[in-house]
Amino acid sequence: MQQLKANLIEHIKTSFKDAREKDYPNENRLDFYVNKQCIPSILTYAKDRLGYIHLSHIAIVDWLEEGEFELIYIIWSPEEKIKMFVRARVERENPVMPNIDMIWRQANTYEREFREMYGIQFQGLEGEQDFVLEDWDGPPPMRRDFDTEAYANETFFHRPGREDALDVREEIIKRSREEIPDFAKKYSR
Amino acid sequence: MINDKNSQKIVDIIQNWSRKHSLWVLAYGTGCGAIEIPPTMTSRYDAERMGVRGAATPRQADILLITGYLTTKTLKRVIRVYEQMQDPKYVIGFGSCTINGGMYYDSYNTIKVLDKYLPVDVYINGCMPRPESVLAGFGKLQELIGDGKANGATKYKENLEWYKANQKKIIPNWVMPEYNW
Amino acid sequence: MEMLTHILGAIATVILAFVVGMTYGGLVRKITARVQNRLGPPWYQNFIDAYKLYGKTTAIHHGWMQIMGPAFLMVSSVVTLMFIPVLNNGGWFPNLNFEGDLIFLLYLMVFGPLGMALGAGQTGNPNSAIGVTRGLSQMVGFEIPWVMALVALMIQHDTTSITGLMEAQQQSGTWMMFSSPFAFIAAVLAMLGMFRYSPFDIVGAPTELASGPVSENGGKYLFTMMSSGSIFAFVKLTLYVDLFMGGADNLVILLLKTFAIYMIPVLYGLVSPRYRTEQSIRFFWGWPLFFGVLALIYAAIF
Repeated sequence: MQQLKANLIEHIKTSFKDAREKDYPNENRLDFYVNKQCIPSILTYAKDRLGYIHLSHIAIVDWLEEGEFELIYIIWSPEEKIKMFVRARVERENPVMPNIDMIWRQANTYEREFREMYGIQFQGLEGEQDFVLEDWDGPPPMRRDFDTEAYANETFFHRPGREDALDVREEIIKRSREEIPDFAKKYSR
Repeated sequence: MINDKNSQKIVDIIQNWSRKHSLWVLAYGTGCGAIEIPPTMTSRYDAERMGVRGAATPRQADILLITGYLTTKTLKRVIRVYEQMQDPKYVIGFGSCTINGGMYYDSYNTIKVLDKYLPVDVYINGCMPRPESVLAGFGKLQELIGDGKANGATKYKENLEWYKANQKKIIPNWVMPEYNW
Repeated sequence: MEMLTHILGAIATVILAFVVGMTYGGLVRKITARVQNRLGPPWYQNFIDAYKLYGKTTAIHHGWMQIMGPAFLMVSSVVTLMFIPVLNNGGWFPNLNFEGDLIFLLYLMVFGPLGMALGAGQTGNPNSAIGVTRGLSQMVGFEIPWVMALVALMIQHDTTSITGLMEAQQQSGTWMMFSSPFAFIAAVLAMLGMFRYSPFDIVGAPTELASGPVSENGGKYLFTMMSSGSIFAFVKLTLYVDLFMGGADNLVILLLKTFAIYMIPVLYGLVSPRYRTEQSIRFFWGWPLFFGVLALIYAAIF
């Protein structure tokens, strides 16, 4: 396993000089941090030459404090059985990413979802704008700075609570005469 | 024969009796609460002994069962389905999401109070309600029909502007035929 | 005076057919429920359903042809009912019977679904159109062995009227079930398709195409269709009993015999999955056709 990973690191680093790697010694996982413009070429290289023919998932992390999105492409090789994570960062205002639609066709669905939910534009992406939501004209909903509770409070009616409303956890404690642990107490309303 | 406005005539009594013992539920699960409908309709908690049966199209159905949350996308279609059903029709709100938003109280996409958009006759509480609760809900609806109090459909016709104003406030792109019967 | 008894007889026959058909529907639902290990609805459930459908206050229609669809179905059921002798030797009121009415009956039985097809086409719902084409193509399937069985009977006894066949049966003393067995087998296999229970219920099933031809009809149209379906079921059962099982001398024996022969499609349907349309046509042009041909040969030789 270590030998396979060392071979892989050597292959990638000879072709892409500014890729940093991170190794997870006891798992079959290998991370690469690359520039966002290298993404199509590194994925094509991995698919054609190194045998990483299966795109498992595309994940996204919203680093609000650093002002960036991070896209993670998870690819898998059936012979070597190593998961390769290719990570790229993009800035939060007007994010533009290259499109990998032509390498794997299922990336179309993932990219349309990111376009609707996070507002990331992909160059040359084809597909309808409305992926799941219909007639949505607010900010992209899955960003961390979109307060869904405030939006829901101002758009929809709410039913006012009962005057004799009781707290569920306090009632259960009273009835069963048991003490709940401290980490659960902070979820009582 | 005492022709009192408050007492029901004999024709009404027979009609209400026949309506309450043969309720056809539209087979349309709008939310995740619909997973409790098949156990209610099949062998263990048999709902057919009360006359409750599944119906395929809105033209043949009596009850519209709103099972669970309603997104704005589904609400548009549910309103259209509701207006295609024939009188007398009843709406049952199923689960806590129709009462006050339930688990999705802070979601940007689901409606919180069903009563403002469609007239509801009976609410069934729970997340999801067990089949015994569902049967109790049907029993409560049968009681209301027998007393002549389940008239959500006439309430919809009388307060049509209020319901339509609420619906159009939530759904921005309103391309539906106007309700004219 | 004759006219009055005829009219009274017709009305009484229709009422009898309606009551018996609806009761059988309710009993079938009860039996289905018991086979599936649950309590079912009461035996009078179909009457409650019919009264509720009749009491719907608003009606939506898409043109006068849609009203004609259920009307055609009802008319065809009632007219077919007029030609079936309910009891032996005119024990019930005398209805209309003439020479050659068996062939006339074969044509009449197809008339109803055709009217339904016209009505369903007017609604403009694509589900109705597909359901109607499936129903009519299935009818092409089961009509072949049914017609062959009847033609075999007609050849064997040199008569084309139902009363003639019943008299021949009474004179010979044995039921026609035993004296022309191949015709009986072909007719029973065709009966599976006529009643539209499983495995041939792809036409009106609620999960297939939102119940096919009846998908746009609610309220009073559905009431008409349910009633005419029940009357038509009674018609077919009585025809079978009259032709193959020696008729009936009084009402109780008629009810017992029709119920016994009704159990064949019902009980077979409870344990069968559903066929697609081309599978059902392939079934009907296999063994039932073979038995029909055997019946014709048997009738021609003996």
